[in-house]
Parts: sequence; C-alpha cells; structure tokens
Amino acid sequence: MKSLHPLTWWIWSLLIVGAVIATNSAWVAGFAIAVAAIFVHQFAEDAPWAKSFWFSLRLGAIILIVRTMVGVLIGVPIPGTKLFSVPILPLPSWIAGIRIGGVVTQERLLSSIHEGLIIIAVICLFGAAVSLTSPHKLLRVTPVVIYEFGVATVIATSALPQLVQSVGRIRRARTLRGDEKPSWRSIAIPLLEDSLSRSLELAAAMDSRGYGVSRKRSRYRPIPWQQIDSAVVTSALVALALVLVVR
Amino acid sequence: MINFSNVSLIYPTSTKTILEDLSFSIMEGELVLVIGSTGTGKTSLLQLINGLVPHHTGGILAGDITVDGISTKLVRPGELAHLVGIVGQNPAQGFVTDTVEEELAFGMEALNLAPDLMRKRVEEILDLLALTHLRNRAISSLSGGEQQRVAIGSALVMHPKVLVLDEPTSALDPIAAEEVLSILHRLVHDLSLTVVIAEHRLERVIGFADRIIHIAGDGNAKIDLPEIILKDADIAPPIVHLARALGLSDVGLSVRDVRRMTETVRDAGKDLEKDSPALGTERILANDLTVKYGSSVVLKSLNASVRAGEIVALMGRNGAGKSSLLATLVGLQKPTSGTSHICGKASIDLKGKVRRETVGFIPQEPNDLLYGQSVSGECQQGDKDNQIAPGTTYALLQRIVPSISPDTHPRDLSEGQRLALALAIVLSAQPQVLILDEPTRGLDYQSKALLIALLQNYSKELGRCVLIATHDVELVAELADRVIFLADGEIVADGPTLDILLSSPAFAPQVAKVMSPRRWLTVADVISAMEA
Repeated sequence: MKSLHPLTWWIWSLLIVGAVIATNSAWVAGFAIAVAAIFVHQFAEDAPWAKSFWFSLRLGAIILIVRTMVGVLIGVPIPGTKLFSVPILPLPSWIAGIRIGGVVTQERLLSSIHEGLIIIAVICLFGAAVSLTSPHKLLRVTPVVIYEFGVATVIATSALPQLVQSVGRIRRARTLRGDEKPSWRSIAIPLLEDSLSRSLELAAAMDSRGYGVSRKRSRYRPIPWQQIDSAVVTSALVALALVLVVR
Repeated sequence: MINFSNVSLIYPTSTKTILEDLSFSIMEGELVLVIGSTGTGKTSLLQLINGLVPHHTGGILAGDITVDGISTKLVRPGELAHLVGIVGQNPAQGFVTDTVEEELAFGMEALNLAPDLMRKRVEEILDLLALTHLRNRAISSLSGGEQQRVAIGSALVMHPKVLVLDEPTSALDPIAAEEVLSILHRLVHDLSLTVVIAEHRLERVIGFADRIIHIAGDGNAKIDLPEIILKDADIAPPIVHLARALGLSDVGLSVRDVRRMTETVRDAGKDLEKDSPALGTERILANDLTVKYGSSVVLKSLNASVRAGEIVALMGRNGAGKSSLLATLVGLQKPTSGTSHICGKASIDLKGKVRRETVGFIPQEPNDLLYGQSVSGECQQGDKDNQIAPGTTYALLQRIVPSISPDTHPRDLSEGQRLALALAIVLSAQPQVLILDEPTRGLDYQSKALLIALLQNYSKELGRCVLIATHDVELVAELADRVIFLADGEIVADGPTLDILLSSPAFAPQVAKVMSPRRWLTVADVISAMEA
C-alpha cells in the first residue's frame, strides 16, 4: 500500500465527509469512523504521522463530552421523555429563551450526541487522511502556483504528527524529573514552542532550497496514479452516491 | 565571491547589536571558519549570506552583502538557491521529503531542472558522499552522521558556488566528522567551492581553514589568517593552548607542525603516574541487558557497572546504541531481557522523589526538562519538588553561571546557560547518579570548562558517579576516569581513559597525537610532566 498516490486518501476522506454531512446520521458517522480506523490500522506506514488518527480520535472524544455537556445544560429545552433534572440557574430576564440547567430529556441528550458524533467523524476523517498520507509526498504533488498554500499544507500536516512525537518526548523528560503526572500546562508550553520553532525552521529550509522560485516544477520520479487509487476513490464515490440516493 | 560592506545587524526585540560595521570579502575557493562564543551571532552571520537574515527572521540590516555580484537585499533566499547551499544546525528539522533520493532531488525539482539532468546529479552526489546504499531509505531511519551527509548532499546537488554550514560536525562521532570534513576539503580544492563553516570544536576543523572570522560578541568581528587570530583569541583548540602553555613562539595549527616544535618536550618530560581514584560501591549495574526494537537488536546481552566516585564516558560511533543504553539505565526503556539497577533499585520502577534522589538525567535536548516561564520559576519548581529551602536551586545555578538573570525566559538562554539551568534543577535533588547524553553539543570552550569543573567537583567531592555519553574526545580526555566503548550494541572496550583513547588514532585527543608516543592526554598532563 506504500505506493498509493498522496491525494487518494485526501479525496477519499473528503468524499466520506461529504456523505456524513449529507446524511446527517449518527449511524453513518459512527460507521465512517469505524471504517477509517480499520483502514488506518491496516494501511498506515510505521511513520510519525501514522499516529495522528488515534490522536484525533482522542481529541474527538473530548469534544464529544464537552459538547454534550454544554448542549444538555445550556440552550432551548426540547420536550420529551425526562431522564433527570438539574437545578435551573437564574438568568436576567433579557435573555429569555436561553436557560442553564433544567430538565434533561432523552431527546435533548440524543440530539447533542448526534451532532457531536458528526463533528468527530469530520475530525477523524481528516486525521485518517493525515495518517495515511506522507505530508512530504503531498507537497510534491501540490502545484507551485499555490506556493503559500503548499508551504502551509506541509507545515500544517507535519505539525500534527510532530505534536504527537513531541508530546512523547516531553513526557519522557518529565518522567525523569520525577513528575509522573505532568500538568497540561507544563506540557503545552514547551510543545507550542517546539512546534513553532520547527515550523519556522522548515519554512526557512524550504525557502532557501528554492521552493516556489520557479512557477513550474519538474518531477524527479513522477508519482503515478494507479488503478488502486481509482478503486479507493470510486469506493468513496459509490458510498456518497448511495447515501444521497437512500436519503 | 562573498562581499560584506559595512554590514550592521540588529534585531528589533534586542538591545544588543549583533554585528557592527563589518566589511570583508571571501574569495572563490576559500574555506572560512566562523568562531565565537554561543549567542554571539555566528548563525546570523551565516544566514546573512543567503538572505535568510533578514528576509526570514526580521531584523534591521544596514550595509550591503553581495554573493557572486547579487545583493541579498534585492532577492529572496530561494532565488539564491542555485548559488548558495545552506545546511542548518539541525538538519533533521529541515528535511522536506521522506527518502534520501527524493530529498536530494527536492531543490532541483523546485528549480524546474530537466529529469535526466536530475538523475545524473543525484547519482553523482550519492557516489561522492557514499550514500548509494541508502538511496531508498527513509530519512527518519538514518543515523545522525548519515542525515548530516544527506543534508550536505542536498545542498551540493544544486551545484552551488558557496556552501554554508552551521556546526556540521556537532552531532557526529570523530570518524564521521573526519569524513564530512575531508569531503569538504576535497570540494574546495577540486571544484573551488567557497565554504563558510561555523563550528565550536575547533580541534576538528582548524586544519582545513584558510581564514577565520572571529566574532567577539560586542558587535565587533575580525577576519584574518588562523595563525594570527588564534595567537590571542580566547577561543582556541587544545593544540594552541599547548603552544601557549609551552611558550612556543608560533602557534602551530596542525599536529604535524606542533610535533616538529615540541621534540625536546617529548624527550624531556617524565612519565606520569595517574593515581586511580578511590572507588566506592557499584551504583549503576547492567546485567545481561538486551534491548530489541522490533526485529533489530540494539543492545546485545551487555554487562557494565559504574562505581561511586567514578566518571565514566560512554563512547562509540553514531548508532552504536549509546542512547538506548542510557534510556534503559535510567528506566525509560524496558529491557527485552536482563536487568538494570541503580543504587540497588530496578531502574524501571523508579518514581517521583526517589527517582530524583537516585538518578539525574540530562537528555540531549535539555530544553525538554524545562517548562517554566522564567529562570526563577524553574528554580522555584525545583525547590518545591525536592522540598528544600527556597532559593537553593537558584543559588546553585548562580554558582555554575553567575550571569543569568532570574527573569529571563529559558528559551532565550544560550545553549550553555540552558544546560546549566537543567543541571542546577537536576542537581538540586542531589542524585546519587548523574547521567548526561551529549552534554557538549553546541557548547563553547568556556561553558565546557565550567561543565568539566562542575562534574569533577560533584563526583570527587561528593563521591557520586557520573556517566556521560559523548563524541567529544577532548571532554573525555579532561574528565573521564574510564571509557566504555560501544559498537553495534556490544561493549568492545572498557578501561582507563588513557589506554582506550591512545589505542585508536581516530579517538585520540589533539595533545595526545602531538605527544605520541608519550602517554599524555591534555595540556595539564604535559605541563605536570614537564614540572615533575
């Protein structure tokens, strides 16, 4: 699977994102995440960026929890089966229609989870595309005309994997200071500095090697579009078409 | 080829002038060495040559710099790519592709060269830098020396007229460094390539330099022949210190020159009896240690021990397994089989306060240990962790480097200061064992001398044990009692520093090469042999 075209998984995940949003169904979203997970598990190379998917899955879970809590506690009440109730926080009269707390209904909980799942699916599909594609190869097929975009893509797509790598390194170092459960802040600050300086250095390296100087770019070894690429993209197209028809 | 006329450089956020009214020119086919303490602006000077400063970093530049007649003010760095190749301090962070071949081709692709021309040049460079067997390897799987060669290759493949290198040998073992430098030497002589190198370890490069630019740090810089600059510079390789200590009239720059001048010294000096230090109990004990990553075996049933009061250097070529051994000893890496104990406790089980008081570890990037917003914040955290009187850590830091202001952000410290801060934090817990991974990378001679004094004091006065993994033979000569030499995951030699360093010319320090066959390693050895 190493020889897949770098755009294949990106097109695939964009199409699936389209399908998930078009159907607006939690089942489809859940199914898409599961399929992405299987693909990443099966096909991702042993490279730093391959861990990005699992990172995005964890990020998604946090978002789901936060979103569900906010969605349940704040907002317009939806009538239905009562699950439990939370005390209502008194708010000034000029924001009538919004309330904090109150009766939590099954409908409200479900709609929050539903929306959360769709968001997770989008994040995870992005994560899967990052995991399955080498950011460096992606750069090679990006047209130079969108030079700034090319630099930004490489930096953005290599930032996530580097983040994952750096977290590991900083955690290790922190363990050495006898700090088994380092605080979020103590990891985030060196992390941010680390990724910023790396990004700047990468941009400087690309610049000093002439990236973007010539509007046209030659290929040392062209990356061919193979049948397997077409097959992956077609499968996503079929999935998209299917959900659109069924809907 | 390169012309600086009245160049001044200042960064907007800093009050210090980096360079002031600097004028010089570098001829075609010259190899120029840039020296100066850390933080004096060596990197800035190098990046001025291809316009990364100020185009990429900001900063106010006065005066004019031309390379082959093109002013760097008028063009972006990319437009000089065919003319100037630049290799950064940390090549791993500048790689843009996945495999060696693609990396070499990247710059040429960007300049839209024809595919058959690219093929030819890639082959040339693969041959020149002995990278052919690595052509399809993933760059991330290469060793430091190999990565450095790829970085140099991807600059050379553009056929530049100027090659700029920022500390090209700092991550390399002596043999790999020698290889890289001799390639450069050949390019300068065969192709008239102009090379500008910044380097701290002068002993490695001094023999190749045609001229030296010495940046003083107060904005002033001098450019002259090596003999003249080194006559009274504060930065000098051991060989020059030797000449000064012996009161020779000229400074010799090569081992051969100084050997000729010191024949009488070699005949006259007395042999030294180095008294072996009084050793305590075994503090680090590795027993039948094997570590595998997947199918590759990095450590092969290795046995080693380090005793209290002993300073041991762990040497070996890039990729020999030094870092893996350290990681296993401190308990970051679980051994596949065998055991590793520190002070009788299994390394892998060390936690929290017990860990801090048992083993202190300074990783290759001391930065990883730091997360405070200021030096004083960092020190307070150290005091709190170890439940010691507030201010103890800061006082310790002041002893190591008196000039650090407590409000500085750790990021703004120089390499040496950052190492000092990490050391102060680790040492404030008074660990029984101190382990350092490549501590002298990027350190100037001054900081290195401080480090040596500190470690000697720590080990000899307090009877603690120190283990250092390093490529720096001069450091080993000055500091270590014993050397463990690692190759391919196995210990191939283990013995007193003197025996190990003198047994292989590649790992012998400069003074030893000059004084061979006498068994003296450092300038201090020679002096005490003369006085004896």
